[in-house]
Amino acid sequence: MDLLAQLLVNGLVNGSHYALLGLSFGLIFGPTRITHFAHGPLATLAAYVGWWAAQRGVPLELALLAGIGSGALIGILCYQYLYEPFERSGSPALVILIGSLGLYIVVENFIGAVFGTDTKVLPNPPSQVFLIGPVVITQVQAMQVFALISSAIALGLFLGKTRFGRAVLAMNDNIEMARVVGIDTDRIALLVFALGSAIAACAALLILMRDGASSHMGFNLVFMGFVAVVVGGIGSLRGAIAGGYALGLVESLGMWKIPSEWQSSIAFVVLFLVLLFRPQGLFAGRQ
Amino acid sequence: MDYLFHILVSVALFSILATSFNLLIGYSGLFALSHAAFFGVGAYATAILTTQLGLVFPIPLLIGMIITALVGMAIALPALRIGGDYLVIVSLALQMIVAAIMLNWTALTGGTDGIRGIPRVVIAGWELNNAPRFLPLAVFCAAFCFWISWKIGNSPFGRALKAMRENESAVLSVGKNVVAMKLSVFALAAALASVAGSLYAHYVTFVSAEGFTLDLTVYVLAMVILGGTGNLWGSLLGAAILTILPELLKFLALSPDVADKIRQMLYGIILILILRIRPQGLIPETSNLNLTRDPGYRPDVGALVHASRLEGTGLEKRFGGIVAVSGVDISIEPGRITGLIGPNGAGKTTAFNLLTGFLKPSAGEVRYRDRPLTGLKPHEIVRLGIARSFQDLRLFTRLSVIENVMVAMPRQSGDSLFQVFFNPWKVRREEREHLAKALAILSFVQLEHRASDIASDLSYAEEKLLVVARLMATEAEVLLFDEPLSGLSPDTLEQVFPIFRKLAGSGRTIAIIEHNLDVIRSLCDSAIFLDEGKKFAHDRPEVLMNDPALATRYFK
Repeated sequence: MDLLAQLLVNGLVNGSHYALLGLSFGLIFGPTRITHFAHGPLATLAAYVGWWAAQRGVPLELALLAGIGSGALIGILCYQYLYEPFERSGSPALVILIGSLGLYIVVENFIGAVFGTDTKVLPNPPSQVFLIGPVVITQVQAMQVFALISSAIALGLFLGKTRFGRAVLAMNDNIEMARVVGIDTDRIALLVFALGSAIAACAALLILMRDGASSHMGFNLVFMGFVAVVVGGIGSLRGAIAGGYALGLVESLGMWKIPSEWQSSIAFVVLFLVLLFRPQGLFAGRQ
Repeated sequence: MDYLFHILVSVALFSILATSFNLLIGYSGLFALSHAAFFGVGAYATAILTTQLGLVFPIPLLIGMIITALVGMAIALPALRIGGDYLVIVSLALQMIVAAIMLNWTALTGGTDGIRGIPRVVIAGWELNNAPRFLPLAVFCAAFCFWISWKIGNSPFGRALKAMRENESAVLSVGKNVVAMKLSVFALAAALASVAGSLYAHYVTFVSAEGFTLDLTVYVLAMVILGGTGNLWGSLLGAAILTILPELLKFLALSPDVADKIRQMLYGIILILILRIRPQGLIPETSNLNLTRDPGYRPDVGALVHASRLEGTGLEKRFGGIVAVSGVDISIEPGRITGLIGPNGAGKTTAFNLLTGFLKPSAGEVRYRDRPLTGLKPHEIVRLGIARSFQDLRLFTRLSVIENVMVAMPRQSGDSLFQVFFNPWKVRREEREHLAKALAILSFVQLEHRASDIASDLSYAEEKLLVVARLMATEAEVLLFDEPLSGLSPDTLEQVFPIFRKLAGSGRTIAIIEHNLDVIRSLCDSAIFLDEGKKFAHDRPEVLMNDPALATRYFK
């Protein structure tokens, strides 16, 4: 019973991480329909900026902020200099996807070539541990849950209450219609790239604090975000959060009966089955 | 010297991967990022079958092909219903599952240690234990795989694959079995990739999961994109360039690890640059149809047929709570042109969708020649002789005009891969007949002079004529046209009317959806008035137009 409670909590923590990634990927994917594969390695790069700053003696809070800020900046540059030119020349979605895979490979190997492939850890990561009854939760795990909750609330307010936010939602619904009613879709695309990349940087920095960062961690960052979006239902950010939690819980509770080396495969099997039997996603809100 | 041979062996193996990957992404438009997994399954199959069961070449290669084909079909299963981004993610998931099995099923795969000591190929007592000795086998297999891909790419089956890439629903509408096509092309591409895997295992005598990651898939992808999608020679060129080019890095004084990273970055940069500068690749796709094979004669495509009446009774379609069509009885008579008119949203296209199996009716049934069509798939209904066109045309835009027509022809033995490989003479004879017939159809719609042009270069009016030609090519007796005449100038209309009249005059059953009342009046023998999903009248056009109640509805 204690084991089950611990697995449940671990599932919720990992679910928060996947939901955060789903949110970051979905925020970009929904309005722009760009399959932003380079998302993961770019977030990794942002985490490395944070690590580098902390390494140089910058206080942790500032280093994290620097990481998040550089994440947003990298996202903007990526849209401006990679995707926007493709879109301007009318490239089909598939071409943009392949271009994104190209950038993915470039950035991942760039990080490896410059920083090496070893795991980077912070000089003094937050290391408190809380005991709630029989369940253990670390400070970083609590931060992961907090990061998801605060991003979701902030994003909800932004999307629902502000003019820019509503423009994002309009573009998410129908990009052509958004153009027709006079929304500058290029600017909105820049905005969601900045926000989505900042959120992904946040998730990557949390991984840096929890397990350390490595040059090839970008794959999991983008892949789990993508899976959360697909499992939840493309086009819905609530779905992406639900999808992230579904993945985290299934993966963690699966460990109760399945040997741990298969843990990462559970998510892929879930995805495979979802797409086979319910391709619109488990929590599809929009037709 | 051995080093040079080693590079050539690599080129041969990668050319197998690039050509088979091109069949999937270039020809069929199926963007599955799991090619490294197919390669890996082939390699592991050979590793396991040789080290644990002691089987000798070429048996492990053949068994590996079968196993990998099954894995390929496993990806095709979700791909039957979904495409685009979904296929990307599901193929990545499969790639990860395969990698997890390689790493974790230790008893079978050696886990993280991989499998060592894979025996080399021995042919007639001659052990292929170095690159120069291995090269002939690698080249032979690469040539054989290329030949297979080439035969497929240039067969009627390959033509249908390209058409499926252009528009899946249009391929259904001309009677192709898209499910079977996807399953076979996935199985084939996977099996071919596994040949490269098996050779690789024999060549390096060692396999481990690290060799078969997404990076490898992107590497092969870069070869296909650089060479040119939809062109197999391009894949050979791409494989050669991207295998040889990174070797030049060896002349720089870099640590092996950094050199490897720079090599990978180079692939990524090449990929992005080629997409920006020359997205069609170094050798662009070409039409493979040779008009000089034209046998010269022209079959009579306007000959009399004995079509029958197409009848729908009590048709109803609900989408959730919304009723699109309800209680509609439709009967379309042979030898005449029946118009479907009504305001926007009246349910005209929905009616066509119900008649042709693109939608399943919530109630009611469709009958043709005393046979209910309930439960039949669109391509099966086409084969029974009922075909439809789409309002938005859905031409196969990157195929030539003549290919657009030929792909729609029924009963092509070249649609079966078995016939393509084991009865090539029959396929070739039929192709000549089909070419003559396609030219005859194009001349019927006055488009023969455009036969070898790419469909995307046609004018709007010519596109509409090609839609008619493609529908005729299905040999269906019942032809349902969704707004075939909209947007045409009065002059063009005068040219096109006789084509429809001749079709009806030859005994075919013709229905058209049309908004222009003048067109209805001058072309149709009778018209059905639909509004708000219900049928209000079926009568001669003059009668309908003189009915004040219908006029108010139409112009409301």
